[in-house]
Amino acid sequence: LAEQPARDARATATGPGRVLVAVYAVFALSATARAGVQLATKFHEAPVAYLLSAFAGVVYILATVGLVRTGPAARRLAWTAVSIELAGVLVIGTFSVLDRGEFPDSTVWSDYGSGYGWVPLVLPVLGLLWLRHTGRRSG
Amino acid sequence: VIHPLAVAVLLLTAALAVFGIVTTVLGRPAERPHVLAVGLTEAVLVVQALIGAARVLGGHRPPETSTFMIYLAVSVCVLPLGLQFARAEPTRWGGTVIAVAAVAIGVAELRLLSLWGAPVG
Repeated sequence: LAEQPARDARATATGPGRVLVAVYAVFALSATARAGVQLATKFHEAPVAYLLSAFAGVVYILATVGLVRTGPAARRLAWTAVSIELAGVLVIGTFSVLDRGEFPDSTVWSDYGSGYGWVPLVLPVLGLLWLRHTGRRSG
Repeated sequence: VIHPLAVAVLLLTAALAVFGIVTTVLGRPAERPHVLAVGLTEAVLVVQALIGAARVLGGHRPPETSTFMIYLAVSVCVLPLGLQFARAEPTRWGGTVIAVAAVAIGVAELRLLSLWGAPVG
């Protein structure tokens, strides 16, 4: 590789990682904006779903920030946010399939993100793999 | 939203996404052709946003006007940001970054169409 940073772990926002960050940024924007509108205009229709959407939006924002920035703190932030994201899509996905009544309006993570082309399910897996890959010490 | 213009946006964003992915496969970084392709698509998006905003101000109110306006604003902002982010990447992956932005705009365009109340396709 031509560019070898002088730190133990490689930067997460270069090469294919930049594509990952771009997808995270798109989801951070869309999930947050959508939740904002829902909370502002029709909060009482499905408060659980909208609050979950907002939570998902915040998680995507934190993951984006963690992946864009370099350094141990940013890496920890990215690990935490992407792990919560994976747990979120699995838990909410399962609940939404089992109990329709609790989720009258869909969130990003409903049905494991099938409404968003399964990207919400694939993204955290790719994120964790990428963090592990870039976290290996390069000699 | 004017229907032919929306179709143009969908075709342009699809072409832009394919172009970005092809340059990644060919191992080429985001360069002048990318800037021109993004510029062309962005120009159509700006025209659409101006027309859309003018029609809303002129009295046509889609059911969710505020959501519609947010999508309209986002539709003109994402590509310039994506291009900048892609150009900062010296490797082949810049093209895919542009493709991600293009797909996002394509999806936003479909939402714009359904919010406006026009049939898609």
